[in-house]
Amino acid sequence: MQIPSDGFSETTAPLAEPSVVAVAPDVVRYAPGKFHFEMIRSELEEVVGPEHISTAGPDRLIYSCDWFWPPQMWLDRGQPLPMPDYILHPGSPEEISAIMEIANKYRIPVIPWGGGSGTQGGALSLYGGIIMDLKRLDRIIEINEQAMTVTAQAGINGTQLEWALNERGFTLPHYPASANCATLGGYLAPRGSGTISTKYGKAEDLVMSMQVVLPDGRIMRTPQVPNHASGPDFMRLFLGAEGTLGIITEATMQIDYLPEARLLRAMLFDDMMKAIEAGRRMMVHRLNPMVIRLYDPHSTASLVKETLGLDLAGGYMVIGFDGDPDIAALQEEKAIRICSELGARDLGREPGERWWNHRYDFYYPPKTLKFPWMYGTTETVSTFDKIEGLWLAQKQAVEEGYRDWGVRYIAHFSHWWHWGAAMYSRFIIEAPPDDPEEALRLHNRIWNAAVTASLENGGMINEHHGVGLKLARFMRRQYGDAWPFLQMLKRAIDPNGIMNPGKVGFGR
Amino acid sequence: MIDNFTEIIDNSRHNLMSRHVCPVGNITRLETLTPHGWAQLIALERRGLSVWNEETVDALYRCADCGSCRAHSVYDVALPEAISAARADIVKQNAAPPSVYEMERILGMWENPYEQRRPEPADGTGDTALFVGDDTYFLKPSVLEAALELLRSVGIDPVLIGKGRNTGYLASSLGLPGVAWDLAQANLEELKATGAQRLFVLSPGAFFAFNQMYGERLGLALPAGVELLEVIPFLADQLKTGKLRLKQTSDPTVYAYVDPTHAVRVKARAEAPRALLAAVLPEPVRELFWRDGRAYPCGDLALEFTQPDIADALTRERLADAARTGAEGVITEGPGSLAHLERHAPAYDLRVRGLYELLAEQLAP
Repeated sequence: MQIPSDGFSETTAPLAEPSVVAVAPDVVRYAPGKFHFEMIRSELEEVVGPEHISTAGPDRLIYSCDWFWPPQMWLDRGQPLPMPDYILHPGSPEEISAIMEIANKYRIPVIPWGGGSGTQGGALSLYGGIIMDLKRLDRIIEINEQAMTVTAQAGINGTQLEWALNERGFTLPHYPASANCATLGGYLAPRGSGTISTKYGKAEDLVMSMQVVLPDGRIMRTPQVPNHASGPDFMRLFLGAEGTLGIITEATMQIDYLPEARLLRAMLFDDMMKAIEAGRRMMVHRLNPMVIRLYDPHSTASLVKETLGLDLAGGYMVIGFDGDPDIAALQEEKAIRICSELGARDLGREPGERWWNHRYDFYYPPKTLKFPWMYGTTETVSTFDKIEGLWLAQKQAVEEGYRDWGVRYIAHFSHWWHWGAAMYSRFIIEAPPDDPEEALRLHNRIWNAAVTASLENGGMINEHHGVGLKLARFMRRQYGDAWPFLQMLKRAIDPNGIMNPGKVGFGR
Repeated sequence: MIDNFTEIIDNSRHNLMSRHVCPVGNITRLETLTPHGWAQLIALERRGLSVWNEETVDALYRCADCGSCRAHSVYDVALPEAISAARADIVKQNAAPPSVYEMERILGMWENPYEQRRPEPADGTGDTALFVGDDTYFLKPSVLEAALELLRSVGIDPVLIGKGRNTGYLASSLGLPGVAWDLAQANLEELKATGAQRLFVLSPGAFFAFNQMYGERLGLALPAGVELLEVIPFLADQLKTGKLRLKQTSDPTVYAYVDPTHAVRVKARAEAPRALLAAVLPEPVRELFWRDGRAYPCGDLALEFTQPDIADALTRERLADAARTGAEGVITEGPGSLAHLERHAPAYDLRVRGLYELLAEQLAP
């Protein structure tokens, strides 16, 4: 397909000529000319009002990119990206429903947009179409103190939701690094994790029920509780679907009281295998830590040193317990004993508290990873019997395969379960190719190597960032015999293929 | 003086970590009108993917230059300063909104945007000066009267400078550094001529201008040895030591306190107005959701003159926030913020009171 280069620097008019498209066998592609474009615009304006639709050049440019490295790099090197045609801000599920009807009628791609903070290219407008920015759906509908739930619209900003809950003594115990920019819908759509997911679960574990607008415009509510024996759990279809099966417009989430106590502490291990074993024992003995964060020696020497100012060597582990002060203290005591038995040095409370208070500092400039560096977060998750081998295999695949590029591989174990752990690994190349196409190819080859290592060693292709565009090509390998089933679901729910095309492996 | 603008812009274009506090981004919900959106527009123009035309310039001038993004930047990245510098480039290219060039002419001639009157000359010398500014002088002279009464009650009678002159912030924010420099220099020369060793200002906006903006954006500094103080925190200290004595009002109105524009730029000043209010109000003041370190500005910003719709929307959002607390009135001390709140308050059925005026009324005998 020829990507329309509408000469943003020449004109702020919409697409100057129709896209030349490759037509899928049974789907008519969206291919507007100026006339058609304006007719559709009028129809969309009828739904949301002229003040809530934009086709302005600056808006199309800014909405063309999310937090995925390749499109950011593309723009950084002065290359244009595919852009959306319309940016809509619907004010209600009914408006979204009406937009879906139009989108189906004209086969216009629809890409839901929360905070635009996704790292997987899930919000890119590969084929133009409509960006559906959900931030006007930002109300808190109810805080139910008896049921300990909050019901809010999906476009509410994560940190603003948390502030509102804090004012009543509550918290939504989902603390991702992206909370300042992500939305509630963005928490759920890719199945995100947060700092304290080890104790409280991922976003998908905290959701009670959702309202979803289906691709055909129907507005649907899932059952009011997630745990029951009343038929298949179809709510979970939309968790991880990243907007390919429908748009989450509202969610009811479990909340907690702000904890009375939070006890943080840091340990230092000489032996990473023993450190992983310490984490495993804490989990299988149900000590219920809110966080175990274990940094490999490379991360300790770089990330931990730079962000926290701690000059240490080895596996740096932060453990945290919260809740009732007496219970938390006892859990911490037992965890310290486990760590000591496995050779850890107890660094005390202060380094752990410093980590907690500065855990997001790394995401602020100038400390954050930035151009011209190439980087990717190749995180994965597996069971305890495989995680060490997975770490070493992925490390070897990346370090040995791309040594000539001076690649650095760092990892930390970020989220833990009774059965295993997530490994938050990263590759960094400080001097990637200048040519954007060459850089993109190198980037994708490294990803191929890292993900292949994951798949071949018992890991999943991703743990909490989602699939998006970045990992779409691995979905068939990931699911094997089950993949046709997922494709069948997609075709049944979205027969016109308008929902976030090109993502999550569903293609176009 | 800050000049690493390219680095700041390149670091900010993918930074979403201050997204949650950007008032324009929150009110418009438009990704373009966010700290990273503005930085990206500037970065992409430099990379040839965009040009400064009416649409892109309009978008860039919708940044409020309120300082919220910088206040929430862990490493104090000076994005507002970089945006101001980008606007200066746009002005040089003759691509800025017409209102900017009109303001250049007005400020050059009258040194204020409100009336065709030049500042009243400062006269007198003394160890303490007080910067009046243009918003106080032309919009809310009652603020000055009340502030002077309060200062005199604790034995301070300052020489007045900047009577009707803008700090220079307006010009700097619009991308007119030359005009900003002239205004700032005029203020500093008046200060120097008084011989004062202490300079009082009436609002966090003026404090920001003298304390930070002059140095970072214009390369100017206060005369050596001059201590800069904002009146409200000073009065709160005087209250604590017992030198300032206040009595409670009998006004039964339930008030919400509105942190004035630019309050987020001044660290550790939030408690002071609240402590003063606790001394005079019978009922605790209601708190807005957007308060203290995350306070939105009111519309008394440069974009009042370029994008008045956004300025009005910001002020209305403050009032809506106050209304949601159940308050019957709002109180603030910034003269510009007061003027904007008064303009829109009737629509929310809210009374507006100035903090200085209230405190002066409640001076104990």
